[in-house]
Amino acid sequence: MKYPPNFLVIKVMCSGRVDPQFILEAFRRGADGVMVAGCHPGDCHYIEGNYKTLRRMTLLKRMLREFGIEEERFRLEWISASEAEKFVRVANEMYEKIKALGPLRIEEV
Amino acid sequence: MEQPRIGVYICHCGVNIAGTVNVREVVEYAKNLPNVVEAKDYVFMCSAPGQEIIREDIKKCQLNRVVVAACSPTMHEHTFRTVLAEAGLNPYLLEMANIREHCSWVHTDKVAATEKAKKLVEIAVAKASTLEPLEEIEFKVNENLLIVGGGVAGMTAALDSARRGFRVYLVEKKPILGGNTARLGRLAGTDMRGVDVAGSMIEYVKRNGMITTLTNTELVSVDGSVGNFKVTLLKKPTYVNEKCTKCGECVKVCPVEVPNEYEFGLTKRKAIYLPSPASYASTYVIDGENCTKCGECVKICPVNAINLEEESERIEIYVGAVIAACGYDPYEPSVGEYGYGLSNKVITLFQLNRLLDPEGPTNGELKIDGFVPRSIAFIMCVGSLNTTPNSYPYCSRMCCSSTLKDILLLKEKYPNIDVYVIYKDMRTYGRDEQLYLTACEKFVKFARFREAPKVSVTGESLEVTFFEETLGEEISIPVDLVVLAVGMKPPKDVEKIRTILKVGCGPEGFLKEAHLKLRPVEAVTDGVYLAGAVTGPKNVVESITSGSAAASKAVGLLCREKVRIEPTIASIREELCSGCGICVSVCPYGAIIIQIKENTRSAKVEPALCKGCGVCAASCPSGAAQQLKYKDIQLKAQILAATYKR
Repeated sequence: MKYPPNFLVIKVMCSGRVDPQFILEAFRRGADGVMVAGCHPGDCHYIEGNYKTLRRMTLLKRMLREFGIEEERFRLEWISASEAEKFVRVANEMYEKIKALGPLRIEEV
Repeated sequence: MEQPRIGVYICHCGVNIAGTVNVREVVEYAKNLPNVVEAKDYVFMCSAPGQEIIREDIKKCQLNRVVVAACSPTMHEHTFRTVLAEAGLNPYLLEMANIREHCSWVHTDKVAATEKAKKLVEIAVAKASTLEPLEEIEFKVNENLLIVGGGVAGMTAALDSARRGFRVYLVEKKPILGGNTARLGRLAGTDMRGVDVAGSMIEYVKRNGMITTLTNTELVSVDGSVGNFKVTLLKKPTYVNEKCTKCGECVKVCPVEVPNEYEFGLTKRKAIYLPSPASYASTYVIDGENCTKCGECVKICPVNAINLEEESERIEIYVGAVIAACGYDPYEPSVGEYGYGLSNKVITLFQLNRLLDPEGPTNGELKIDGFVPRSIAFIMCVGSLNTTPNSYPYCSRMCCSSTLKDILLLKEKYPNIDVYVIYKDMRTYGRDEQLYLTACEKFVKFARFREAPKVSVTGESLEVTFFEETLGEEISIPVDLVVLAVGMKPPKDVEKIRTILKVGCGPEGFLKEAHLKLRPVEAVTDGVYLAGAVTGPKNVVESITSGSAAASKAVGLLCREKVRIEPTIASIREELCSGCGICVSVCPYGAIIIQIKENTRSAKVEPALCKGCGVCAASCPSGAAQQLKYKDIQLKAQILAATYKR
């Protein structure tokens, strides 16, 4: 099982810890894509953190659109610890899409 | 904060890492990262000499932060934390970069993998620069144990724990212990009936002075955390006291009739009733939901055992661990599903068990409308294996064996009965395969369906129609009785239990193990254990085994004097907090409260309750709520390092 080496993982204990600002920060600093991966809904290690993630990221997606950041550049995915295959599939898919889009250019305001 | 002095240690893991990543290059790269004063590599960093390198350097180079680039922290974070502690550093000043599972094992291109390993080290160094020393939180452990559910799994867990000297509170919502097992009739692979197994356990439970049994009692709330739970229970009245002599006069006068759940609705019972025909049911009870309080029973009772004024009682107990053993519910087909509910000649396997039980409603005679059926069709996988739209996707494990056990009993009693087993898959796993072989010898006819069979009910006659896979054609079998081998589903109130105990559940609603293979009887919530069919279909033997397993895990916790928990919990910077309470509303553990000091509101975290998910930190509008070791500044440092182009 292989996936492209330009995926870097930053660990949080729960996807519910991910502040949308982190994603904006990553894009601003030059990330071409960001993925938030968490446990499946109903299957949260911390009871319901991922539902909060879902709500936050839904709003964030709208905001990214307004910023002109293509929607393929951000993904929220439910991937459990035992779903290595899914991680690999999603990572490869995302890689292909972003490669087709090319680098993200955000003009400094 | 003192100037960080970071040592970076890069592991080869034999060829696991070094085979794909050019470790020397990573070392050179690390040396030039900010705050790094030393970087080294070694063939196995986790080995004794590897650990010694780190210990020596901490002293020699006055390191105050350590980065180990090796395998997953799940594997060796604990090892390296210990190394830091041994060298006099706070163990939480360690950061791990996973360059094995996240890099060398998943990439083939050596150049790209080396570049990625450098980046992962850079991210870890950035985080390490922001790390603070943290102290583990220590609590004294309460020695008592709460067990929710008085079936065979719960009773086994209670007996095992009590025999080791721990006080057990055994809570059962029904008026009597025994659970589903007591109603199962003869059990597969033994001459015992379910009621004998449950009965002997009930006797031991009654005799054990360390077990406090609370029947007719429901769980209201559980607060606190591992080692220290405060539990609130509600004991509902049965309105009958121990003076009851089981004379049965009350039943004769009670005007209320409801389906008898003990007999799976085959018979009716009164609002005052005996909860089990077994001898261990020591008194009649009144079911408060259906009783109209007419008072007829009170008038007739010769020993004044009935008091309709009795009230519910709230009970508070303190325990160190909880075992959830709330069992399962049999799958109940909807009306019309395989003809169920349209004819009294379509019954479930559980109802058949009752009919075959000598203490059942027909004293063990299989008679429908007074006649013994000449032919029976058993339809398998009802409610399981996605056979119908309402079905669950899983296999219920016990139904194949249980069905064949019943068929052999039937064949013993009525040798001329014609039996058809219409199945999707026969799964008489393990020793139960013998049941299948014996059934074949007794000329039980097995037929395999592809799509769920149709049961047509016309007047008195029944017909089962389906596409038979082996013959490759549709066939119809007229029979006198249809038995639906229904599976198991999560118990009705599992959602309530799950919320109270704050444990996870799988997609079908069964409670979920912390890890299917490594921690099969533990819940994700520390101090909560799971036993029996509440985690998924199990037969009696498996339930009892898991009860013993859960007890041994729980006792392992209770016998410790103190528990330590990771300090990566939330904390509030009071000076930034406006007291808006968003964190209070998002916290799934109720671990944050609003305190008012000198007319200013601010949030406060109860460390014993916080589990460290960080959801409050992500929601706080002012940055006052932070998760230790996962603070905004720490995660942003990582993001910065990940995106920084050198």
